[in-house]
Amino acid sequence: MNGHVLARAAALIVLTAAVALFPLAAGTYPVKLLQEILIWGIFAMSLDLLMGFAGMVSFGHSAFFGIGAYTAALLLPKFPGLLAALVAPAVAAGLGALVIGFFSIRVSGVYFIMLTLAFSQMFYAVAFQNAFLGAEDGLVGIPRPAVLGLSIGSTGAFHAYLLGIAIVCALFLWRVVRSPFGHVLRGIHENEARMQAVGYPVNRYKLAAFVIAGMLAGVAGSLYTQFVGSISPSAFLWTTSGEALLMVIIGGTGTLFGGILGAGAFILLQSLVSSYTERWMLILGLTFVLLVLFAPGGIVGALRGRVGLRA
Amino acid sequence: MGDLFAQALNGLSYGVLLFLLSVGLTLIFGMLDVVNLAHGSYYMLGAYAGLSLIAATGNFWLALGLAPLAVGVVGAVVERTCLRPLYRRGPLDQVLLTFGLIYVFEDLVKWIWGGRIRSIPTPELFASSVNVWGAVIPSYRLFVIGFGLAMAVALWLVIERTRLGAIIRAGVYDSEMTAGMGINIHRVFTLVFAFGAALAGLSGVIAGPIQSAYPPMGASILIPALIVVVVGGLGSLKGSLAGSLLIGQAETFGKAWLPGASMLIIYVVMAVVLLVRPQGLFGRALK
Amino acid sequence: MAQLTRRKFLGGASAIAAGAAAGPWVLRAHAQGAPIKIGLVLPYSGVYAVLGESITQAMELVFARENWTVAGRKIEMIKEDDEMQPPVGIRKTEKLIESDKVDILTGPVHSGILMGMRDKVHNSKTILIVSNAGADAISRERCSKWIFRTSFSNWQPNQPMGGWVAKNVSKDVFIMAPNYQAGKDQLGAFKETFVPAGGKLVGEDYPKLGETDYAPYLTKVRQSGAKAVYAFFSGTDAVNFVKQYDQFGLKQSIKLTGAGFLTEPDVLPAQGRSALGVITGHFYTPLLENPTNVAFVRDFRAKFGGKMPDGFACQGYDTAETIVRALKAVGGNTQDKEKLVAAIEATAFESPRGPFRFDPKTHNVIQPFIYIREVKEVAGGLNNVPFDKVADVRDPGTGCTLPA
Repeated sequence: MNGHVLARAAALIVLTAAVALFPLAAGTYPVKLLQEILIWGIFAMSLDLLMGFAGMVSFGHSAFFGIGAYTAALLLPKFPGLLAALVAPAVAAGLGALVIGFFSIRVSGVYFIMLTLAFSQMFYAVAFQNAFLGAEDGLVGIPRPAVLGLSIGSTGAFHAYLLGIAIVCALFLWRVVRSPFGHVLRGIHENEARMQAVGYPVNRYKLAAFVIAGMLAGVAGSLYTQFVGSISPSAFLWTTSGEALLMVIIGGTGTLFGGILGAGAFILLQSLVSSYTERWMLILGLTFVLLVLFAPGGIVGALRGRVGLRA
Repeated sequence: MGDLFAQALNGLSYGVLLFLLSVGLTLIFGMLDVVNLAHGSYYMLGAYAGLSLIAATGNFWLALGLAPLAVGVVGAVVERTCLRPLYRRGPLDQVLLTFGLIYVFEDLVKWIWGGRIRSIPTPELFASSVNVWGAVIPSYRLFVIGFGLAMAVALWLVIERTRLGAIIRAGVYDSEMTAGMGINIHRVFTLVFAFGAALAGLSGVIAGPIQSAYPPMGASILIPALIVVVVGGLGSLKGSLAGSLLIGQAETFGKAWLPGASMLIIYVVMAVVLLVRPQGLFGRALK
Repeated sequence: MAQLTRRKFLGGASAIAAGAAAGPWVLRAHAQGAPIKIGLVLPYSGVYAVLGESITQAMELVFARENWTVAGRKIEMIKEDDEMQPPVGIRKTEKLIESDKVDILTGPVHSGILMGMRDKVHNSKTILIVSNAGADAISRERCSKWIFRTSFSNWQPNQPMGGWVAKNVSKDVFIMAPNYQAGKDQLGAFKETFVPAGGKLVGEDYPKLGETDYAPYLTKVRQSGAKAVYAFFSGTDAVNFVKQYDQFGLKQSIKLTGAGFLTEPDVLPAQGRSALGVITGHFYTPLLENPTNVAFVRDFRAKFGGKMPDGFACQGYDTAETIVRALKAVGGNTQDKEKLVAAIEATAFESPRGPFRFDPKTHNVIQPFIYIREVKEVAGGLNNVPFDKVADVRDPGTGCTLPA
């Protein structure tokens, strides 16, 4: 057992080091693809907390991504610091998750999926039509924050900053999942009625999970704004939620780190395939179909060689 | 007053279109418990099949009859090959697979028919507008209303009053028991799925003269269809009709009276309904 | 014999000497033989793929005419599909600038992508020739000396129509556009000349973008007492709107007019007979009779299987023409960007739309004409037939301070 864990830890360390050193080996475009994968990976992992562990499939997770992204977009030009870059977006997204979660948790199953979708679409409509938020073209010209007095304008510096945050988020989620709180969530996922009967305030746990996931999604959104330097309403679109959903499933639901792998697979497929052929949609679609039929545990499941769930 | 009636008539025609679009989805969703995100793709295939049939025969009515059959066959094939292995697995796998199918169908359609915007021409019989008690409405929309309501009645009769309907209902309620009674349950499921796809294809042809056909239409029609199904309650034919008529009126009057809110209306309606009745208007109460 | 041989030898020796002296020059020309890279950020999938294709095809037509060579260097087109999504478009832009190191960037169709690209292009001093997106801001407060536009600003097709409609159609008009900034900008430009010409806005409505059922709006139009409608819609919205407008029987009593996109060839076939009689204003129609256009239409159809060029193709043509002429003017030197920018700015030629030149104040194209066209069944199909025109339409460029 110990050797197994050590091997896994070693693999993770090697992988992280490879990611950290990537800018030294590759050109700017591949590095930027990797950075985007990290950002979407955080987004996907936060969704996996909801989906894979608490069993709440949300189709409106883009709402929090968008809230974080727009909060950063509005604050950074005036206050280019970590408060505006990370704290404010997380808080704003968390508040949004509190409100939306409070209403959405009253329903479950498909209805939960659709209600969360409705809320994120409402945000989309508002952002799309509001001049202060840049209307359909969104906000542009957003500067990166100064981190402890240093600029992160260069690709290398931003890479270090982003990787650092990604590691912190991943570790945080890993701890949450392993904590008593995480175990209760899993219990709720498996048998909500039983947990209720035993006396757990199920809805409060679900809401807490929803808020935590929302805050991390907000951080991802803010990082995206910092990465591109602009944001548009498409951050709120249901297809953004859908893509995160796909990333979680591709990577392996309930595996947490599968989120990053799924993000990688999706973004690489989307960007690289379309550079080579016009039929990229067909290839992407067929890949999903074949993945489901022959690799049911997602990438992580396939790596483990079994129909696996659970981190 | 004439204004109100005219808009109400508009709302009815839109609502009926929504019903035709969503009834197949509620059948599949509610009865087979399958998340079929590719439902909009069958709608799209119906529209394009209709386009080709009209181009080949010049006859809208022939297209209306044949296109759904073609789409039904496609649906049956998909069910047999891709979905049957997934019944045992959770909804997430079905989400990923049917999402993949959306991409596949969209690209295939683009490959075969090209990416230009197309449209089904209005059938000669209903090419003009008529005056109904002061309200001017295209005669084609009156046809849609009549056709849609007739379809609702026909479906109800089939499901509630025929042996086939009984078998379907039984198979959905308890598939093992039904299989035990000597009925090929797999064939029933394939039939229901094909039927749902055919209904979607039918609505694609019907909506054709009013709307346009373009490869991404399958993805964009998905959300309104899902919303109607959810508002009405999964698996309920009554709910599908009630939900679509409600949303039809809400959307129409919202567009007429609340400019600027038109993007939001359908979501607000759904949110309100779900918060008051979490299982939809006529859905079975969830545990 | 010997004399000839000696003369030949001397001739040969001097030739070799001359060759040796010229050698370095030849070598340098060869180094500059590295291809000129033109990047295209356009949609090649989705509904707007037909625009991306039109623009690209016209560019290929021009480059092929030049044998894909300019000033001794080969032209290489690198196409990237932006899928009409800002995140993808921005990603592809960065790839073209940083990875492929394109000399000139062109595109996009989507204004949101353009706005996202703007800073990247400006800060990296990459020359961008906008071949479609009409966001007014790019010619106004967000202009840049590195950015040129050969297509149009949203303002341009609409502003002359206001006064024209008031004078020639009716002064009681109901206006409509999708509910987004571009839609509001287009109608705003219309109002600029409509109201001063005595026009009365009987109604103003903004259906949501992507609306499929315009019935409530059409009923409102009928009930408003308007004598004409001026609308901006494009793509599927244009098809749905025009078809439903006809189905509601409004065309007979309430004239339908609009910005050119309402009846451009990407939507006209789907609209069919519903589009007959619709009047629009645009900078191009394939039926223009100037010699450049006649040749353009003939060559385009010959190369692309009988397909008629549209306004988007004209934009592509003008983009490629600009690139070719500017590069010729600087002898193929893509290193000195300032010179190249100046050469582009000075470009002037006969385009299928008329005499083409950039406004030095905004780097936006000065529309030689906005043609008023009516959809008629001529030349074997439905076409936008020009019957009137407004000359010299240039974007006001408010807030643009070039050179920046």
